Amino acid sequence: MRIGILANSLPAALSIYREAQELPGTEVHVLLAPVSGNSKLSVHVARFVAKSGRRQSLSLIGRRALVHFRKPFDHPETIARLKELRLDVGLHKSGNIYRRETIACFQHGILNAHIGILPGYRGRSVVEWSLVQGDPTGISVFFLDEGIDTGKRIVLSETVDVSHCRNVAEAKQYLFDLDATFYRRALALLQQQPAFRSNDGSGRRYYVMSKLFQEVAQENLELLRRSRIAPDL
Amino acid sequence: MNKDLISKAASRRLNEVRERLIKLDPQRFGEAGPFVASVKETLGEARAAGAPVRHALSESRDWAEAATDCLTSLRMLSLQSDHATQPAPYQPAGEFFNRLQAKIVARQNVFELLAERYRWPLNFSFPAEGEVRETVLMRLLTADRVRVEKASIDALNADDLLLKLNLVAVHACATTDLRFLDALNYYYELLPATPYSESQHPWLLVSWFALYVRALSSWS
Repeated sequence: MRIGILANSLPAALSIYREAQELPGTEVHVLLAPVSGNSKLSVHVARFVAKSGRRQSLSLIGRRALVHFRKPFDHPETIARLKELRLDVGLHKSGNIYRRETIACFQHGILNAHIGILPGYRGRSVVEWSLVQGDPTGISVFFLDEGIDTGKRIVLSETVDVSHCRNVAEAKQYLFDLDATFYRRALALLQQQPAFRSNDGSGRRYYVMSKLFQEVAQENLELLRRSRIAPDL
Repeated sequence: MNKDLISKAASRRLNEVRERLIKLDPQRFGEAGPFVASVKETLGEARAAGAPVRHALSESRDWAEAATDCLTSLRMLSLQSDHATQPAPYQPAGEFFNRLQAKIVARQNVFELLAERYRWPLNFSFPAEGEVRETVLMRLLTADRVRVEKASIDALNADDLLLKLNLVAVHACATTDLRFLDALNYYYELLPATPYSESQHPWLLVSWFALYVRALSSWS
């Protein structure tokens, strides 16, 4: 399986690269493009030299696993090169929303690790909304389409307990940091040709949350924490 | 869902909105001054008497025809007065929805379009209008919000924005879908508390506050 990690910076892609390349039968590439405008490889190199993960980054370049694009992922020049790579699956780690032409460059599509349970929770602030409404938090890995979390094929959707987190920001970061693990598990499932769960539109799209309800989300998380520490209270 | 936490939050906000409303000067609203004074009086009296705000607006089961226009109906609803309506045949949203979408894509105002279809504002809560509600909610919390956050309310047509907020508030009174109430929470935190200089109908700010109070009271 030929895999491409779509990212805007090297450090962002590293943990996913490490997990994905450990799967047998995979060939992993990091696809590096700017969010907008132009980008130079030298800028990325300078950036990662200053950050942790330098050794892994150098190793990645040594293995010729890094593909650098000067233009964003939806630019015709980038799309033409993506097609030449003949990749099977993309892993989303960029700040971009992709057009159909970009998604079609990957035989199966581009996977996204969404920090919410699909089909129930689409869109933004879904961790906060799950907490406010007393629903489980979790991660869903699904194939993107052009909409906001509307791609029909869900590969993996699981609840993840965040009751050990002190606040909502920490809970979100905890879930974001699980993306590499979930991508790896989703890829392993794909190798077994699974039946997809349907993202059937039965859920709701959520948006930014007010400060008032963010406080409610935080209070609900506090209650979860307390019940975890002292279940009888 | 922990209704107790939501109820406490709604009560806190309810008091804040009432305070904000009571501080408004009716004279700044021109011909709508008496209406603003009436809203202040209604909510002020309810608070003084410790009486609950009347909130019972139920999701519209029938499409209704009001004897008056959208803006007059909004004033009546925000004064918590009863209003006679007649059941009317439902006109599917299809063509209207296409026009709404076209205007949104073209970044044009939708005030006239919404005011015409929702002459009786509770029709916005009619079950078959779900697609329209989702579109208005999305617009408020994406493109409109970004423009206000990046610039100010002056970046938008104030009446257009306030009519959407009024309709969302009407629906928030009638639904358990918290996204609609939270859109009001968000804009309450985002917008300035005073009337907007560019508005043709500055009292829409007051009716929005009054309907917001009504929506909050159904959770508090």
